[in-house]
Amino acid sequence: MSVDATVETYKGHRLAGWLDWLQMLTGLTLAVFIFAHMLFVGTVIFGANAFNWIASFFEKTYLAQIGGPILFFIFLLHGTLGARKMPFRTKEQKLIVRHAKMMHHRDTWFWVGQAVTGSILLVIAAIHMWTVLSDLPITAAKGAQEVQNTLWALFYVLLILCAGFHACIGLYRIGVKWGFITRATRAKALKCIYILMGIYAGGELILLLRFLSLKV
Amino acid sequence: MGRTLQFEIFRYNPMDPNSKPRMQTYYLEEKENMTLFLALNEIRETLDPSLQFDFVCRAAVCGSCAMVINGRPGLACKTKTKDLPDKITLHPLPVFKLIGDLSVDTGIWFRGVAKKIEAWVHTNKTFDPNALEERMDNELANQIFELDRCIECGCCIAACGTARMREDFLGAATINRIARFYIDPRDERSDQEYYEVIGTDEGVFGCMGLLGCEDVCPRNIPLLDQIGIIRRKMAIASTGGKVGRLFSVFAKKKK
Amino acid sequence: MQTFYTDLLCIGGGLAGERVAVEAAQAGFDCIILSLVPPRRSHSCAAQGGMQAALGNCAMGEGDNPDIHFEDTVKGSDWGCDQEVARLFADTAPIVMRELAFWGVPWNRVVPGPATYFKGGQKFEVYEKEEKAGLITARAFGGTAKWRTCYTSDGTGHCVLYTLDSKVLELGVKIHDRVEALSLIHDGENCFGVVARSLRTGELLVYFAKAVLIATGGYGRLYKHTTNAVINQGTGLILALDTGIVPLGNMEAVQFHPTGIVPTDILVTEGCRGDGGTLLDKNGYRFMPDYEPEKAELASRDVVSRRMTEHMRKGFGVKSPYGEHLWLDIRHLGEKHITTKLREVYDICQNFLGINPVHELIPVRPTQHYSMGGVRTNKDGAAYGLKGLFAAGEAACWDLHGFNRLGGNSLAETVVAGRIVGAKIVEFLKGYEVDIKTQYATAEVKKQEERINELKSKQGRENVYQLRNEMQEIMMEKVGIFRNEKDLQEAVNRLQELLDRSKNLGLVSDGIGANPELAEALRLPGMIKVALCIAYGALQRKESRGAHYREDYPYRNDKEWLNRTLAYWEEGADLPTLKYEPASKVFYLPPGDRGYGEGKVIPKDDNTEEKE
Repeated sequence: MSVDATVETYKGHRLAGWLDWLQMLTGLTLAVFIFAHMLFVGTVIFGANAFNWIASFFEKTYLAQIGGPILFFIFLLHGTLGARKMPFRTKEQKLIVRHAKMMHHRDTWFWVGQAVTGSILLVIAAIHMWTVLSDLPITAAKGAQEVQNTLWALFYVLLILCAGFHACIGLYRIGVKWGFITRATRAKALKCIYILMGIYAGGELILLLRFLSLKV
Repeated sequence: MGRTLQFEIFRYNPMDPNSKPRMQTYYLEEKENMTLFLALNEIRETLDPSLQFDFVCRAAVCGSCAMVINGRPGLACKTKTKDLPDKITLHPLPVFKLIGDLSVDTGIWFRGVAKKIEAWVHTNKTFDPNALEERMDNELANQIFELDRCIECGCCIAACGTARMREDFLGAATINRIARFYIDPRDERSDQEYYEVIGTDEGVFGCMGLLGCEDVCPRNIPLLDQIGIIRRKMAIASTGGKVGRLFSVFAKKKK
Repeated sequence: MQTFYTDLLCIGGGLAGERVAVEAAQAGFDCIILSLVPPRRSHSCAAQGGMQAALGNCAMGEGDNPDIHFEDTVKGSDWGCDQEVARLFADTAPIVMRELAFWGVPWNRVVPGPATYFKGGQKFEVYEKEEKAGLITARAFGGTAKWRTCYTSDGTGHCVLYTLDSKVLELGVKIHDRVEALSLIHDGENCFGVVARSLRTGELLVYFAKAVLIATGGYGRLYKHTTNAVINQGTGLILALDTGIVPLGNMEAVQFHPTGIVPTDILVTEGCRGDGGTLLDKNGYRFMPDYEPEKAELASRDVVSRRMTEHMRKGFGVKSPYGEHLWLDIRHLGEKHITTKLREVYDICQNFLGINPVHELIPVRPTQHYSMGGVRTNKDGAAYGLKGLFAAGEAACWDLHGFNRLGGNSLAETVVAGRIVGAKIVEFLKGYEVDIKTQYATAEVKKQEERINELKSKQGRENVYQLRNEMQEIMMEKVGIFRNEKDLQEAVNRLQELLDRSKNLGLVSDGIGANPELAEALRLPGMIKVALCIAYGALQRKESRGAHYREDYPYRNDKEWLNRTLAYWEEGADLPTLKYEPASKVFYLPPGDRGYGEGKVIPKDDNTEEKE
């Protein structure tokens, strides 16, 4: 054949596929986790005791001590994998922003948002995990004390908004990229994603208020 | 009718050392049933004969005239001025090499990627002129035709955030082209062989699902649906089929 | 000066050029394709309908064979074709379609069981046989006894072109797109290559080749209203004509398609009528059965186009700001049929007319569509007059079509001729050596450089676009569907004037780089010459045959005009020199009645009575 074909095989070749799997699976895990997290923290609605009970349950069963670091590792892995797709050089960043502006196209802006929230989360979610996991046991009182500091409260508002957006758009993106959300179902899926985003952000903000109002 | 259209057109002639990239303004009276094909030709014939742009079929089947029209890549020939505001801004497609003004080199780009993915039927058989053709289900023929409808205009590439950031990204049209051969039983390539040409970050795993491609495709091809299918197949291939079997059972159930 | 050497140089990267290139590359020869545009953008991609080949797989094509295809073709040509070529074509077509299927064309296939079709607006049912399941199926096209047109939905040209281009890619044929050949390099006996201009940079390039193929398609853009792409300006024909020794054959044979939409002149496929679409006048009346009781809308294109014009002349046309037109009605075919099998038509209506053909009528009128004439070749595709020069496809007058071609025969011709001519070129190239005389290239380059410099100097006063538009209008008005002595003479006179004025062309712009005005200015004098070949050939041909219809000579005159016009352009002349040769060396099918159309014939044999 007279065409310079690129059909050489080498072992590392399958890596791209594996990494794509990992990115999706870690993302999926984290998204599921933050919703579960919301439910656990949600026990605070029923008062400090309920919250403390579930927290101590996680600690007694060592879920927090072991699961926490594992989750932290998954989080870092997801961040690293995501970073492979992110624009790092200023030239690339400018390009993608210029592109999004040119296209005035919702899904392109979503992705820019995804990149921005992802970068922010990499820092602030890490801080959150560190402060919580390095100071066991988790109690409602500690949480309340923390958020009653204005700066921390703002920190959590930012965390909630970023996590909600990133996780929900991430789920949508997985659906689109892997072909589970097709042209036919896209509009409907997007509606569900908005609702999900609303539930998360709304729910978490209510919890934040609950912590604020918690008597320490 | 009776509108005066204001055209803001990107001008640059790389062959002219005195030429600098700039925007040039032209005014034109709008006519009934005017398309950008008619408008641009009128500008060339009456206002500025040096204006470069590409049209061939002027019937939206050849893919020559893709350009960025008020921010969105599209085919100029099938864009009616009555669907546009008074001010019309035209840029050449990004990503592709500029030939001059609104003209870009899509042909070389598409030939390059077609060579990379070896976009032809791979078979070990030889044609027998005396034999009947191999039979094919008409439904399958239609499915192949659906994917073969891409006219390689380049809109999906220009609308793709990944393609703009990464020069080596193959893009939606190319992945769609692979999908066309993938479902064609005459192409005897195995999943592993397909994986080797497209199972990379420049290929299907580079797609970040921004949907720009699908939203601008002038042929209305469900590009991301195709990318999704190929991504699943290639992801399955990457595991050597182990995880994949489970996955494909799930995928089939979904259908 | 960049110079390239190759075995075969194909000028034109459409179906014919690529099919020839595939043949040569498969035989191991080096091959370069020169194309004005990327090959996949060639006008071939716009062909919607299909390719005729007597496969006889579908129920309505049962019993079909190459003999019947041959007869249909000869009748369609009004006995103007070369019958040896028609025979060769009909015999080879089925093999070529199967070969294309082998290479990946997704032909539509036979679905066994009962099937519903439309013909002439009537619904009817047939039973597709189980034993034919999955074989290549066919649809009806005008002027054929059987359903014989193979198709891939509404994108036959597109699919076949993409398949061939993939083959070209696989075989490593070199593609030089955005290059325009300006003139042939030859010594009066042998052709050595071409001088070309890059449409990217404006530079001149030299290509040396043992064999040169002209496959540049038609010249529709000589007319104001044409279905052809904007690149179909007859550039390949100009190359041949400018040699002074290679003739163009039957240039007066120009086909008008009955259904170009108004006002954009985009073609809607004959498949519309083949599938049961009907033509209506301003009163919504279906008039074709009155003129052609048997074939109605499915008579050959020349007949339908003339009947439409005739009907409009009687005052039944629909008035519009863009002139009169008639209606094409496909509403009764139903939404599913229109949005799947005629989707291209549906899209065109939506995109360019803003109407929905499922509920609305489509405005149509006869529009210039196809050039039967072209570079005259023998049955091997070798051009008359120069060794090493070949032509194929619409650019050639191989002479399969005579004075009218059947729908689906031209698209088939590109690939069938491509295979046959390609094989003959391979035969020619084997062991062939030529002494390339470079002085002819140098002289030709100098000539082109001078032309370019003169145009750039802006000394000329004539505007390129104005002259071109005048030419297009003359051709449309005076050398159209109905022709007569007075109009044709006037056309010849005015075109001669234009030719003279074209010597005084000057650019408005600077002409730097890939300047479009310069490219047009370089082409225009040649285009006017080609237009003169058409007009003058039509003026001299005092009969009506196929698409060439003379109001003052309404009979087909086999006694005097059963021949082919050969137009030569001697250097410095202001008119072509016309010569004639017999239409066919052999007549397997003696001249007779076509079975449709006016059917008035002055027979070859003096003893036979004139028949009406």
